[in-house]
Formats: sequence, structure tokens, C-alpha cells
Amino acid sequence: MKKKLRRNWIKLLFFFSVVGPGIISANADNDAGGITTYSIVGAHFGTKMLWVLLLITFSLAVTQEMGIRIGLVTRQGLGGIIRENFGVRWTAFAMVTMLIANLGTMTAEFAGIGASLSILGISKYVAVPIAAFIIWFILYKGSFKTTQKIFLIFSAFYIVYIINGFIIKPDFGQAFASMFKPTLEWTTPFLLTMIALIGTTITPWGQFFIQSYVVDKGLEIKHYKAEKAEVYLGAFITDIVSFFIIICTAATLYQHGIRITDAKDAAIALEPLAGHLAEVLFAFGLFAASVLGAFILPTATAYAICEAAGWEYGFNTKWKDAKAFYSIIAASILIPALIVIIPKISLINIMILSQDVNGILLPFILIFVMLIINNKRIMGEQVNSWFDNLISWATIFGIIAATVVLVFSSIIGLN
Amino acid sequence: MPYLGHLLNSKVQDSADAVIGRLKDILIIPKAGKYDALEFLAVKTNRPKKVIYIPYEYVENLSRKEISLKNTFSNVNYSEAIGDSYTFLKRDILDQQIVDMEGARVVRVNDLRLGPVNGKMSVIGVDISGQGLLRRLGVEKWNFLSPFKVHLIDWRETQPVKGVLKLDIGSKDLNRLHPADLANIIEDLNIKQGSQLVTSLDAKRAAKVFEEVDPRLQKNMVKFLSPEQVTKILSQMSIDEVVDLMKTLSKEEVKTYLSQLQSGVAQEVESLISYPDDTAGGLMSLDYMTVRPEWTVKQTIEEIKLASPKFRSILYIYVTDVDQHFYGAVSLRRLIISEPEKNLKELLKLFPATSILKPNQKFTEIVDIMTKYNLFTAVVLDKKRRLLGVVYIDDVMRTFAPQA
Repeated sequence: MKKKLRRNWIKLLFFFSVVGPGIISANADNDAGGITTYSIVGAHFGTKMLWVLLLITFSLAVTQEMGIRIGLVTRQGLGGIIRENFGVRWTAFAMVTMLIANLGTMTAEFAGIGASLSILGISKYVAVPIAAFIIWFILYKGSFKTTQKIFLIFSAFYIVYIINGFIIKPDFGQAFASMFKPTLEWTTPFLLTMIALIGTTITPWGQFFIQSYVVDKGLEIKHYKAEKAEVYLGAFITDIVSFFIIICTAATLYQHGIRITDAKDAAIALEPLAGHLAEVLFAFGLFAASVLGAFILPTATAYAICEAAGWEYGFNTKWKDAKAFYSIIAASILIPALIVIIPKISLINIMILSQDVNGILLPFILIFVMLIINNKRIMGEQVNSWFDNLISWATIFGIIAATVVLVFSSIIGLN
Repeated sequence: MPYLGHLLNSKVQDSADAVIGRLKDILIIPKAGKYDALEFLAVKTNRPKKVIYIPYEYVENLSRKEISLKNTFSNVNYSEAIGDSYTFLKRDILDQQIVDMEGARVVRVNDLRLGPVNGKMSVIGVDISGQGLLRRLGVEKWNFLSPFKVHLIDWRETQPVKGVLKLDIGSKDLNRLHPADLANIIEDLNIKQGSQLVTSLDAKRAAKVFEEVDPRLQKNMVKFLSPEQVTKILSQMSIDEVVDLMKTLSKEEVKTYLSQLQSGVAQEVESLISYPDDTAGGLMSLDYMTVRPEWTVKQTIEEIKLASPKFRSILYIYVTDVDQHFYGAVSLRRLIISEPEKNLKELLKLFPATSILKPNQKFTEIVDIMTKYNLFTAVVLDKKRRLLGVVYIDDVMRTFAPQA
């Protein structure tokens, strides 16, 4: 056990020494919506969806790598390129799509903040407004870089799921088997959860975020290989965490037929490791993950929209020159926070349904990415390989097919 | 006067009201400081489906209501291919970024305003407003509370940035701008375009602009420019700016660049690089003029005239012996009002020891001293009273407001 722990520490140190866009973006993927969705996937469906997780690990790696490549070649954010190549109308469509998805995710982050603090006995009516104000204030002051790093370190909390996974001693053989044995249930809850699983792992905002990151940091094309490796590693690490969250909840909650209706239920999965501290530990992790996402999302949203519309943006601008930028940030904090404090609204449902919204809207954004990255005029020699195209189109059509079946099944009332 | 957004995709008719096709683009030849006249309409014909270029002299009417030609189509001498000296308004300008030279910033083109200038239909303004966006979306009427006013920039004050900067036209215009404004523009552009803009300037100006660019971007841009270009720019920059830049680069990079600089310059840079940023040593500049105590005022003024081009500014001259031992400073004002035959030694006033900086002195102390004695510049001396450098008030200001 000690040896194991030490090895984990080494892994952790390695993890922080190579932190770059791929790992930050992938890590922020495991936000409030992420933890909740993976917990529900495991708690309600056991290991049945692990095959989906395996497939979308490839999708995540490939789509994120495309974002990096477009950024390196064009030196522009996704919003700007869409505007320059598709005109105003398509840009408006893409931006509205992204905005809806991001507001959804942002709502999930506030739901995560509310849910985690309510475990600690703080009411969401107190927690959410205060958190919203602090997040807005730190972003407005532009001093979020350090804060972001702190929360990134906090998100190492996921390690507990991995340790926990070994303590539970689940049936790894069966888990691996279900990674390679596709199981599908033609029911609305299954499809809804599956789309959420995809939508929380590969996100529209992640696509915008990673590209701006590359452009912002002035990374060079000669670092492309290293960045590519880092993105692949990031996708792999994220999904290992997801894998462990799923098998932890599968081995505990699913085994005993407990359904997650409240954040407290999801914490039960950590009991083998933390005992009666499981709830506190889970609350801490959920809180850190939610806040990290809550810092990144308003910024990513405002960057993309302002870049596309040609408004001034960035934290070195003043309010007077960049009213749109700061207004979008404020709105994408205020609106989600207001939704979350609606009385009696289910925080768990917000967290998972927002991921469905992300999943359903994702193909639209990915199609733009595909049209850009396969355009020789824009990308020159750096267009997609057949392998990238295969994975990406399979992802796009997979989600569309799942969505169509979902709509169909809910209409004819399969349950 | 029509907007391009209203015209695109409209039907183009000949004089017999027969529809030729739809307007896809308009071509101009951009010239510096001019409202560029429209040269060709790019029209997509229906049968067969192809793009033809109709010279603008055939156009009878170009408005939102109607685009029509003076002749019947069979009498129009159109071409099917066009040289690459033309700029396409939709392809190259609309939705792209342009430099607004009056505002010294980069903006996105939402629409273009056309209008007659000297009897020729020309591009006269760039619409960068939200109203322009609504117009392009076809929902102009949504602007009922009119939060968006049309905001036009004079076409003559703009510079397109798509693809390669049109240097032959642009560089002359861009030369009008203050280096700090050009630096702002470079910060707005993406790093590829920004580096191109820097290389389009002559080395001396490029160096001045480069000094004004945000340090983080400076560091990134060095990697985008070729080593020769970097060396050329570095050799024109003031030493303290080179030092600041070098501090952000890796040891190997520093070595490479230093080896390509003049040995004297490289030595000075090396000696400065060791001081931390927030000390007098890190803040000081080597951009100052020293003179000998036995020189006369007249002789000194002659020397200043000769040496002036080498210095960024001369507020004071510093009196030292050949080994740089510091005697004192003389202001230009004092120099001008003094008897021409007097020795500099006689002009020197008592120099308060407390106003002299040590190289390891902290930033806050420097600020205190400069404020207390109302100094524009403060000298930095080593233990043997040798002059190491001069801290200028503008470098102190920059530390206070790094974003400006």
C-alpha cells in the first residue's frame, strides 16, 4: 500500500511537470457535470457504458489535437476563423450554439458549487450568490491566473478515486471486458446518460478553449509533436479518472441498487477509502472542480464571441473599451447563478442535463472544425489524415444517431 | 449609398432587364490614402454556372434596389479570369480584420459603405458597428432600441491585414504612426501577422516599435522572426531593452543572439543581465552621454551635436573621467545658459549623495528617492563611484503601468 502511494506521488509530480493546454483542458473537462455524469453512469448502469468511454477517449484526443493544429497554423481562435470563412450568418449560428452549451455548463458548475457546499451544510441560496460574486470579481480584476492554478492543483483530488478503486478491489476483468463489449439499452434514461457521457467528455467549449490557449501562449509549430503527445496524454489521464469514478460508483452504488438523486448519494462511492469523511472529501472535490470550470467558461465564451464579432477583448483591456467582453463574462455568471437558485430545482438534474445539451450541440461545432481543418487554403499541408477524419466523423455521426434515437424513443415512449 | 452587405447575392440585370446572374464579389485595386474605385463586379451566372468579371464601366446602377448594366449582355466585354493584383471586397476584406490607423487598433469589418467619389463608385467607409452585423444578418429592424449606432471608419485610414500585408502600399502609411501605436496594433494582430508587420519596417523603426511591444509578446515574436531579423532589430534597440528581452529567453538563445551582436554591445548586455528586474541595476539604462570635466561648454555642445543620433534622449550629460569615475551631472539648460568658455568642472553643483542609487537598490527606494529630489533621471554608481547606468523616470513609470 505504501509503495503504491509513493508511486502515485511520483505520477502526480510528473503530471504537474508537463502541464500544458492538453492537460489543463482535459482536466477541466472533469468539472461538476463530469463528476456527476460519471457517477451516474456507474451508479445507474454499472460498467455497461465503459465501451463508450473507451471510444470517446480516442475522439477526445483527436478533436483536441485538431484544435491545437488549427491554432498553430492559423494563429487565431476558432471564433475568428469561423467568421472569416463562413460569414456572419453561420458565425451567429455557431456562436449561439456555443453560448447555449456554455451557459448550460456554467449552470452545472454553479449547481456543483451549490451541491457540494450543501453537503457541508451551507444553503445554496447563500453559497451560489457569494461564489458568483467572487468569481466575477476575480475575473473582472483579471487576477485569475494564480487562482486557476490553485484549483488545478485541487483537482488532483481525482487521485482519491483511483486509490479508492484499488481499495474496493472491483472486478477489473469484468470492467475491461465491458470496455470491449458494446452494450446498448434502447431506453430514454440510458440514451440520455450516454449522450451526457459523451457531452461532458468532449465539449464545445473545450474546442474553443484549447485553440485560444495555443494562440495565446504563442506556441510554435515546432512544438507540435510535443503538444500532440501532451493532448493525447491529457485525454488518456482524464478518461482513466473517469474510468475509476465509474467503476467506484458501479462497485458501490450500483451493487446495492442506490440511485443518485442528491450529491450526497454520489459521495457514498468514496466510503471504502474515506469512511465517514467520504461526504466531506467528495464535497471538496466537487467544489474545486466546479470552481475551476466556473473560472474558465465565462472567459472562453467571451473570448470566442468577441473575436468573432470583432469586439475588443482580453483582460488587459479596460471596461470602457471592452464593454461587450466584460458584459458577456458577467452575463455568463449571472444567468446560470440565477437558474441554480430557483427553489426546488434538482441540482443533480441540472448537472446531467446540461451535459446532454453539450452533447447534442457538439456535432454542430465539430462540423465547423472539420470543414476548417480539411480546407487546404486554410491549413495547407496540415489538413487531417484519414485516421483523424474517420474518428471525428464517427464521433459526429455517433452523437447525431444517438440523439435521433433518443428523440424517437422519448416520442414513442420506450422506457 | 449602398452597403456591400445589401448588394451581395442580388440579381445583376442587363439593359434589357435580363438576369445575368448574382453578384458574388466586387474588385478594387487598393491605393494608399485613396477611396478606391470599384473595378470589376464578380457575377455568378446561372447557365452555365461560372464566375465572370464585368468591368465597372458597364454598370448603370448599383443600389440596394437594383444592379443593372448599361448594355445588353451580349455587348458586355467581360473576362473569365482576373490577375492577382486585385483585392476582392468580400473575400479579402469583409469579415476580416483591418488596421484602423486613426484609432491605432485592429477591428473586424462588418460591412463596407460604397459611394460616388469624383463621379466614380468607390469604397468610402468600413462599418465596424453592431448595426452592421444586424444588417448582414438581415435583421436590421431588430435594432429598435438602437443600442448600436453605425460606426464608419474612413476607408483611407484603413489597412487590410489578410494574408500577406500589402507592404508596398502599407508601409508608407504605417510609418505615419507613433511606434507605441504600431506596437498596439501588433498586439492586436495574431503573431504571424504581427511578425510580418515588424519585418516590413526598416530595422531602426522596427526596433523602436519592438521596444514598445508587451514583453510576453516580444518573447514569443523573437521565435517567429528569423535569427538575422532578430539580430538586426536587437542591434538597433537600446541596451536596457535588449537586456529585458534577454532575461525572458533561455540561456542558449541568449548565447546565440549575443554572439551575433557587436562585441561591445554584447559585453554591456552581459554585464546588465545579472541584475534582478526590480533593482536599480535591472532598471537602469546605458543610453546616456558622458563628458570629461576639463571640456569647455562650447566643446561639449559641439560633441552633443555629433553624438546626438546615438541617443534616445539627452536630458543631462554626465561628467566622468576616462575610468567612468563620476563627478556630477549637468542639465542641457544649464549648458545652454552658461558662458561658452567655462569648464564643465565649474558648472558642477554639489551632488547630494543620498540621490545616488546603488545597483542593488530596490524599486520602492528608487521611487522614493526620485520623488523626493524631483529627479527625471538618477545615476547608479558602484562602490568605487564609477557610473554604471542611469535610471530614467519613464522606465520607472513603465514598471508601474506595464499594460500601457
